[in-house]
Amino acid sequence: MVETGIPKLDEFLGGGIPKGKSLVYYSQPGVEGEIFGMQTVYNSLKSGGNCVFVVSSTIPSITKGLFKEFGWDIDEYRDRLFIVDAYNPLIGAPSDEKYVVSNPDNIENFNKVIIDLIKELPPSTIVFGSLSTIMDLCGEKETIESVKNWNKMAMLYNHVLVYNFTVWPYSQETLHLIKEELFNAVISIGSIAERVIFGQYFGILKSDWAKETKTSMLFRVLRPGGIKLFIPKILVTGPFDAGKSTFVHALSTRAISVDRLGTTIAMDHGHVDYKGFSADIFGTPGQERFDPIIKLLSGESMGVFLVVDSTNPADFVRAKHMLDITKSYGLPYVVVANKQDMPGALKLEEIREQFNLPDDVPVCPTVAKDKVGVFEAFEVLIEKITGGT
Amino acid sequence: MADTLDMVDKLLADLKNIGGVEASIAASRDGLLIRANMQKGKFLESLAAMSATMLGAAETATTQVEKGLPTRVIVESEYGRLIIVGAGPKALLIILANSNSSLGLILIELDKSARKLKEILK
Repeated sequence: MVETGIPKLDEFLGGGIPKGKSLVYYSQPGVEGEIFGMQTVYNSLKSGGNCVFVVSSTIPSITKGLFKEFGWDIDEYRDRLFIVDAYNPLIGAPSDEKYVVSNPDNIENFNKVIIDLIKELPPSTIVFGSLSTIMDLCGEKETIESVKNWNKMAMLYNHVLVYNFTVWPYSQETLHLIKEELFNAVISIGSIAERVIFGQYFGILKSDWAKETKTSMLFRVLRPGGIKLFIPKILVTGPFDAGKSTFVHALSTRAISVDRLGTTIAMDHGHVDYKGFSADIFGTPGQERFDPIIKLLSGESMGVFLVVDSTNPADFVRAKHMLDITKSYGLPYVVVANKQDMPGALKLEEIREQFNLPDDVPVCPTVAKDKVGVFEAFEVLIEKITGGT
Repeated sequence: MADTLDMVDKLLADLKNIGGVEASIAASRDGLLIRANMQKGKFLESLAAMSATMLGAAETATTQVEKGLPTRVIVESEYGRLIIVGAGPKALLIILANSNSSLGLILIELDKSARKLKEILK
């Protein structure tokens, strides 16, 4: 198995791409699809594999600069990274790379270099920076014939082939072949503009080794950092003095609060970068007089932390009511049982019972002031939001 | 989507070109950043969230005392101004300007842009 390095995608694929298989990142124009191939290159180098990167849409040195922008140091692995330069000859510039496609507008030239590499190298990950540019230069039919051949050869020699492909207006026949037939797996990458969330997503269109998953994941591209799964809004709510702000601050890479005398009067806002996820956290005030603001700010949430003070069951009714105010019913939520270190803190089962919670709602113990349990709670909620298995 | 965002970018760039304007930001009513035109953008998400809160709080306050909806929120601070206007039911526009800026001109342009943004996001 070769991991793609894209968060969550490897999990969906049952661990990664098996040796001998091919995968295409099938991206709509205008989304940052080419980063996927690059992230796979870096990830396979980092995990000790050999990697071939076929650069056909820009000068290799620019591509190397891009890797740096994402904070991926590929120089460290230069003895295991083989760059195929299929661009410089096109503009008549000399190439510094060992492997050069001398006529990038002739598919036979590609064939020679690629097939030689496939035969020479031990099982590697071979990534095509842009299949679409090869297609533009060499013709659709010719390129498809070659890709078929490369995939077969890779299967024989146990390589993994990964292609970036941008869905320009090619013939229906070509697009059909790419989507349905040529590759073992197709990852579709596109954009959405749903209400006010403008984002990019990816999802598995097909895969002949992993079981089908229909989930699509929102992502954004960070520099440095690369592809991170993006959760635009997670709400943190709960009764007065339950520890919501402390929770937001404990969880966040950076956070701000609007408070007076230790009580949140407008909101807390925090940003979390954790295990490939990038999420923004909105914390609401707890007191009833702020309810109108809570209503305004809770739209578009993807999940909810309901923070309660484990020593104060009297407030549990209010906590339930707050789920109602934030219109959070139906959204994935977890109950965060805070202040577990205090004398008289209820056990998780007692809280579950007093709340009369459905079985599928997790209760997570935390001591937010000491950052105990907060990331565990985050992982539990993320798992619920992303519908992991 | 690319087209919509391009339009939002154009609108924000136009606002940014007004004298004294340091940043122009589009956010959703519930505090999510849509797009921004700003030099250093580290606290953009927070600024979007806080601005939505301020406008939301102002709307709640004025409607409860039967004074109708606020036209805008202007915050005068030590080194400049923060101006927030609603742009239709989904979005709002935020402007950061320095103290030397001409408030009148900014407000006229901002109101125009807010109407445009409302149309763009329809």
